[in-house]
Amino acid sequence: MKKTKKIVMISLLISLGLVLHLVESFFPLSAVVPGAKLGLANIVSLIAIALFGFPAAFQVVIFRVILGSLLAGTFMTINFYLSFSGGILSFILMYLAYCFFKDYLSLIGISIIGAVAHNTAQITAAYFIIANIGIFYYLPFLILLALPTGFGVGLVSYFTLKHLPYSLIGGNFNDKKSK
Amino acid sequence: MKIRDILTFYDKVLIVFVILISLILLLIPFYYFGAPAEDEELILRVQQGNELIRTVAVADSYQEPIIFEVEGPIGVHVIEVNQGRVRVQEAPADDPLKICEKTGWIDREGPIIVCVPNSLSLWLESTNSDIDGMSW
Repeated sequence: MKKTKKIVMISLLISLGLVLHLVESFFPLSAVVPGAKLGLANIVSLIAIALFGFPAAFQVVIFRVILGSLLAGTFMTINFYLSFSGGILSFILMYLAYCFFKDYLSLIGISIIGAVAHNTAQITAAYFIIANIGIFYYLPFLILLALPTGFGVGLVSYFTLKHLPYSLIGGNFNDKKSK
Repeated sequence: MKIRDILTFYDKVLIVFVILISLILLLIPFYYFGAPAEDEELILRVQQGNELIRTVAVADSYQEPIIFEVEGPIGVHVIEVNQGRVRVQEAPADDPLKICEKTGWIDREGPIIVCVPNSLSLWLESTNSDIDGMSW
């Protein structure tokens, strides 16, 4: 893939992630379990991991978190650190799972790993800030909720990768896999 | 295309594993707190950072609601204790997620209301029986 094309694709994915981040805030899942969310922005991270590998996908995640917090006005506040920790840990685990268990796990499994890691990282980061062990009360509920959301995110990324037109990424994802 | 064509065997193993882990984690609070006793008295504790800044006996709220404010770095929380339940009535306007407000009422041991930007946490604690005996 040409360098320019790659840059364009990465910035496209970042902006998609930002929009999904915004759409996500319309679903008040926090009323069900405090801190819960759909994790739609994970779709973009998964697609980036599958298409571009480590450096580019890492850029997508980092820039999505930083730009998202700049837009929301929470840059360098506690909320930023929370979403940063969740984003980084879930990205790293998803990337490792994609590298080593690609033959065993589908994108759904990888996305569930990411969702669970995101929740665990956020709760742990929040624990260090409020210094109250009681916050782990919500962890099992968050993990249970991460299953359906992670499942949906994995499904969306699977179909997106399957149906991305040949011209857009310069090669069909499934062809690349079979080689 | 059907879901079962996409889902691999190890996906299912992972899902079952995650469900099992969360169920085990769910059981810990039950083991820890036990069943609520008939005559237990609940105390609300408000903690900011490492500091316990306020305790309120929930039993006092049956006559009339207790409403007080807690100030933190990003603003003022209005906390309401009413009919044995506790909630954050109003989160600061600068709180982007307002999770503490969305948590709603808590009325037993276990659930906790947190506001991470203000490092604030509120929870209910049952009074110990031997403390009751002492005070009588």
